[in-house]
Amino acid sequence: MQAAAQVKPKQKIWKKLTPYLLILPVVIYYAIFWLRPVLTTIVNSFRDASGAFTFDNYLMVFAERDFIPALRNTAIIVVFSVTLEFLLALFLALLINRKFTGSTVFLFLAMIPMALPAVASGAMWLTGLTSHGWINSLLFHLGFEHKIYWLAGSEASLLALLIVIDAWTVIPSVMIILLAGLQNIPKEVEEAGYVFGGDYLTVLRKIVIPILNPTIQTAVILRLISAIQIWLVIVLLVGFSRLPVLVERIVYYHEEMSGLNISYQMATGYTIIVTVIVSIVALFYLRVSGAFGKSKEAK
Amino acid sequence: MATLEMKNVTKQFGRKVIAVKDFNLEVADREFLVLLGPSGCGKTTAMRVVAGLEEATFGQIIIGGKDVTNLPPRKRNVSMIFQNYAVWPHMKVFDNIAFALKIKKMHPQEIEETVRRVAGMTNIDMLLDRYPSQLSGGQQQRVAVARAIAVSPDIFLMDEPLSNLDAKLRVSMRTELKAIHDKTDATTVFVTHDQSEAMSMADRIVIMRDGEVIQMGTPDDVYHRSASVFVADFIGTPPTNFLDVQVFSENGNISLKNQFIDLKLEDHYSKALDSYNNKNVILGVRPENIEITDPTKSDMAADCLVSEPQGSHQVIAIQLDKKIMKIIAPAVMKINPGQRVNLLFKQETLRFFDPETTLAIEASE
Amino acid sequence: MVKKPVKFGKLIRQTIFYLFITFLAMVILLPTYFLFSLSFMSTREAYEFPLPMAPALRVDYSMTYGKRGYLLSVFDNNEGDYQTVLDTNDLEKMSEYMRYQLGAPMSILEIEEHVKLLESGTDPVKFTGKRNLWLNYGTFFSITRNAVPALIRSLQIAAMTIGISLTIGGLAGYAFARYVFAGRDALKFSVLFVRIFPGVAIAMPMVIFLADLGFYDRPIGLSLVYSIGSIALTIWITASIFLGIPVSLEEAAVVFGATKFRAFLKITLPLALPGLAAAAMYTFLGAWNETVSAIILTQFNPTFSVVVYQSLLGSVGQVNLAAAGGLVMALPSVIFTFFIRRYINQMWGGVTI
Repeated sequence: MQAAAQVKPKQKIWKKLTPYLLILPVVIYYAIFWLRPVLTTIVNSFRDASGAFTFDNYLMVFAERDFIPALRNTAIIVVFSVTLEFLLALFLALLINRKFTGSTVFLFLAMIPMALPAVASGAMWLTGLTSHGWINSLLFHLGFEHKIYWLAGSEASLLALLIVIDAWTVIPSVMIILLAGLQNIPKEVEEAGYVFGGDYLTVLRKIVIPILNPTIQTAVILRLISAIQIWLVIVLLVGFSRLPVLVERIVYYHEEMSGLNISYQMATGYTIIVTVIVSIVALFYLRVSGAFGKSKEAK
Repeated sequence: MATLEMKNVTKQFGRKVIAVKDFNLEVADREFLVLLGPSGCGKTTAMRVVAGLEEATFGQIIIGGKDVTNLPPRKRNVSMIFQNYAVWPHMKVFDNIAFALKIKKMHPQEIEETVRRVAGMTNIDMLLDRYPSQLSGGQQQRVAVARAIAVSPDIFLMDEPLSNLDAKLRVSMRTELKAIHDKTDATTVFVTHDQSEAMSMADRIVIMRDGEVIQMGTPDDVYHRSASVFVADFIGTPPTNFLDVQVFSENGNISLKNQFIDLKLEDHYSKALDSYNNKNVILGVRPENIEITDPTKSDMAADCLVSEPQGSHQVIAIQLDKKIMKIIAPAVMKINPGQRVNLLFKQETLRFFDPETTLAIEASE
Repeated sequence: MVKKPVKFGKLIRQTIFYLFITFLAMVILLPTYFLFSLSFMSTREAYEFPLPMAPALRVDYSMTYGKRGYLLSVFDNNEGDYQTVLDTNDLEKMSEYMRYQLGAPMSILEIEEHVKLLESGTDPVKFTGKRNLWLNYGTFFSITRNAVPALIRSLQIAAMTIGISLTIGGLAGYAFARYVFAGRDALKFSVLFVRIFPGVAIAMPMVIFLADLGFYDRPIGLSLVYSIGSIALTIWITASIFLGIPVSLEEAAVVFGATKFRAFLKITLPLALPGLAAAAMYTFLGAWNETVSAIILTQFNPTFSVVVYQSLLGSVGQVNLAAAGGLVMALPSVIFTFFIRRYINQMWGGVTI
């Protein structure tokens, strides 16, 4: 009797401690490899070359010629990209979920753009968009003999181009998240919708999509966060400063202009600004889409 | 409130799997028809074809005289209760029930009245404001039932609606569903693999196996006049006992013999079994039709293996060679394992089956 | 077999559906096709306009006398006629041209044969050279001197990143799936928050930090940085996987005398293996494809993606070579994606916001 009572409290503590021990490595890792650089950058963004406290870095960023364009371009890309990508990815996910013969093959094919590394992607589009590239060649073969100078267009046409190219690359990754969500909806729940009066669109609108909501939120928020930080594909295609976006500015100042004194400060200034923007947008979306609090279904 | 006709309905999946073969069925108005059979026999597929969730490879579905074969589910005026309820988790109970009514553009006042009425019928009036995740399995099932009643369909389809409930709830829901059927004058097609469920609820039972109809009839028909070994074995708790016996016909007197039994049959089987002289037949006798008597009146004797008391009666198991035979005896009889029992068969209840076709040999009057 | 009446309307609908699917597939893959095609084309082909829809398998030559020796012409499919490409009597130069510009290597001896034919009276001499489609791949690896070491380095880095992410992330994912603890929700959102800070901006201060540790320009350094992103994703995925394995299985093991750890090792882990493999592949993809951090964090020991990147922008600059390099890089990614597709539901189906 006595011995049993003595063992218990120790085991209990151990049991309570286990989850915290399990997440300890993660916490330590992120403290060292993420928190530290982040804090360093935040601190440095408020320092000038001599180390004194200043707001100058931010002021320089705001005053920069390309700041507003970068902001504007990023905003346009984010709004149109995320919307377009979400809609097309949903369409594809619904299509594949019908499980027709060959749907697994189609799924694999649809995932290929996601598998391509950025450099391969860059090579692919670059070779297409030059005036003698494969896009114009294809058009030529189809009878359209006029060479289009894709990369020489206005900012608007470049943005449109970029949105399309980004969509091509990114849609698969959104699609598979939505597909996983769709596959988790029991077939009968949808069928009940058909039996009780719904046609395809009604069932989609009133039953499938509402149930899919948590998955949609996951996909959209991940996409939002990534879209605001787009830069590599732009630089691969048109180089720096041609079509400025927020993160491109960071890389520009850090890598391209690293000789200048103010570069590092500009880079850190932009970094923090981007972080703030992404945080605000993310929190806003989460609040608006009801991810906080409204849990009607226990998970 | 309509008739249902299935004409030559066949459903084939891909190139190999034929789930339903040339299915013909007529369900009368207000009938409670049960599709009964083991897993994979095609009963659920047949129902889904009626609902329009599966397209018939061949054949016609006619509801209330109207050919609905090419119509989508929502235009067939049927409703369905699914095995795992399929209530919509993101809507309150009220909205679940009102869903179809809203699509039909019913007046909000009317919707409210209808929902409350069916909620009352299924005893969920207190739960209308809750979400399905807050309800128990039995309550969710009632929501599914209420949802199905609310649309006043021509045909009610129920796909094993009680299978996921615990035993006690299952039995009480049986009664409730039957009562609702009676109250709403609905034509119902009910799918189950539980034969006692089928027996207790059906006006008629359709027994299916491997996509085909084995027997169609009232519970009485399938119980007392089982058309084949399969039916006799499937229906009844405990099911029919089977004995391989050899027929001997002498001057119009039939006797059945095997290593355990020597039974002299009374008159009315003589013509039917005559053609089986010196051949084997399968004798089927139900547990309740075997009496434990004294040695002088008995047809055979054996040792009791176990006795299973059931409260109102007891089930005695005896071992014959490799088979086990079960007998229903009065609870008061004291029978111990190992004890010798003497058995008398009630001859008018005996069923005979051809050993090759396994079909019943009908006694000609 | 049951006689199936041919429902004409349905057949038409099905055909249209499959045509649509094929059309979609082609649209999705069109750019990839061209990358693929380009990697097999000769330099001359790659810069033709319009670009041929598929690489040629052979080159048709016509040789006659020219001002400086022999005039070599190549049949141009676009023009429908022979185009002069070389005027020389240096056969070595001719052989090199055939190899590097036309992708159809021919030995000097062989060329001499044709010259003999010309000199014996056949004018012009027409002959065919066979294309070596794999030339670009070979050239890519020989011109970019550090391609193979870089390849090996990329594999090392991927392996280490997988090791780090699966261990650290897997433990946390298991905790998330099986326990309730303070900060569980925060953990879920942390996956997002890690991405809020631009990855490039992490790599930059990391240069100094890694240099201090002696990890700069070394695989381990890159693995540590790559793991930042992939640990978060691994937590999400492994949580999803473990949530999909019923607790009752572990509990059964405990009832039969196993410790929780043993239960995890012998029961949960084997069952989670397919999903974990998929998570590993996901991590592999991320590490293998990562270019920008690699550029920042390496100098003399680049990863394969850096090498391909440099070939794209840099001195080599030949489109068909870059295509070959890009495809080599894409190949493992595409193969792994093929294996992952069955596990999508396991990976993403469990945890949502």
